[in-house]
Amino acid sequence: MLVYCSSSYSSEAVYGTSGNAASAGYNWVMSNIIPQQTGLTVNSVIYRYTTEKNTEDDMLVHVQNENARGPGYIFRETDDWSGLAGNTINKTVPVGMIDISYWGNGSIEVEGNGTVSDAGVYYSYQYIPCEDVQSDPTCPGYVDPTGAALVEQAIAVDTSSEEYIQAELDRKANMKAQKEEEEREERKEFAESKEQEVRNSLEVLLGLDLGASLQREQDTLLHNALVATNYLPQVYFEGINGGEYPETVKLRDANLPDNRKGLRVGLASELRHQQLVDLQYD
Amino acid sequence: MFKKTLLLLALGFMTSANAEEMEVIGNVESKCVVVPDTAGVYGNPSPSILSSDPSDGGVDPIVRFDVIQASFYKARIVHPNSFSEAPSLNDVVNWTGDTATDQVSDANMSAYDAAKIEFDNVTEFDLTVAGSTWFKTESQADYGYGKAFPAGVYRAVVSAECIAI
Repeated sequence: MLVYCSSSYSSEAVYGTSGNAASAGYNWVMSNIIPQQTGLTVNSVIYRYTTEKNTEDDMLVHVQNENARGPGYIFRETDDWSGLAGNTINKTVPVGMIDISYWGNGSIEVEGNGTVSDAGVYYSYQYIPCEDVQSDPTCPGYVDPTGAALVEQAIAVDTSSEEYIQAELDRKANMKAQKEEEEREERKEFAESKEQEVRNSLEVLLGLDLGASLQREQDTLLHNALVATNYLPQVYFEGINGGEYPETVKLRDANLPDNRKGLRVGLASELRHQQLVDLQYD
Repeated sequence: MFKKTLLLLALGFMTSANAEEMEVIGNVESKCVVVPDTAGVYGNPSPSILSSDPSDGGVDPIVRFDVIQASFYKARIVHPNSFSEAPSLNDVVNWTGDTATDQVSDANMSAYDAAKIEFDNVTEFDLTVAGSTWFKTESQADYGYGKAFPAGVYRAVVSAECIAI
């Protein structure tokens, strides 16, 4: 429960008076009574209560605050009603600008015979706003610990200037070109990977572990070696006369096996098709 | 000749002599201040009674005495025994009243009530403790022998003054 009452603002210090600290009981927590401002000082304590007692009885009433930074009390005012008739006391006690950090829990304590009623305890205080600039974001010189202010400052450029518009257009164009380049690279990599995949499949199918180019070189070397050793028949190098050559072979088998050569051609066609498809993206 | 010259010199000295009067100013501010705190109101619990008692619907007037120096002053409070303004009255008004402490700024002021001096419609308190004391004055006017007050506005005055002992 916060019971701050009133405050007035001058060019420097802010002065105020708390609400009734004893409104909810005769023990109170100071953090609920006065603003938790850095540098706040309490100038005076104003209290009022009514005693009900027999005149001849002894009675002491203490209005007090514990010392939050040490033992004992930072404020303790005692009224001795011993031998006096009960009455209502209304008292202002100057305390001389004691810092907020010293003000511990407050209470009204009664010793002897008698009761206290209708109590009111008020604290008069003052503080200088922004004495600690980090205490309030509205203080001049406040630095946002999260850095959000720097981001806002960076954002707060003149968006209507031509330089800003041109820079923004350039930035967007660069981003677009970069994105297209990345997509082109991705497609190229995809095409190459697919081509390699098809080639590997073909080589596996043909039982070859080497690449096509390497295979061609080996064939050429083999051919040259065969020619050099005169192993190949001479007819291989002779021409064939033109004319009609009627079929002389008669197929007797009823079962025709799959044409493995045809399968090879089919796979090569598929590879070529993929190349043609990829061309449209280049 | 010498005597004449001496006489003239003596006369010359006498004419050049001058007398001055110097003023000494002192300013004494009262160390006792009387401040009206609460205005009183008469209630009319019955046609023949005007009373400032809250139980009769009235408000007791309260006056505050601020004393800086203890035991130099006494408070003299006079409760009314006549109306300062009222319709024409053709019967007797019987007045009663009382003054007592209402609030104190020091518990020791609570002894003022026991030590107060009362005579006629006057109450005096020796202000033996420095600080502020609030005095409440209650007054009641009874008209005739159970006679109704005429309709109108009634005013009475409570007088409070601080007197040096």
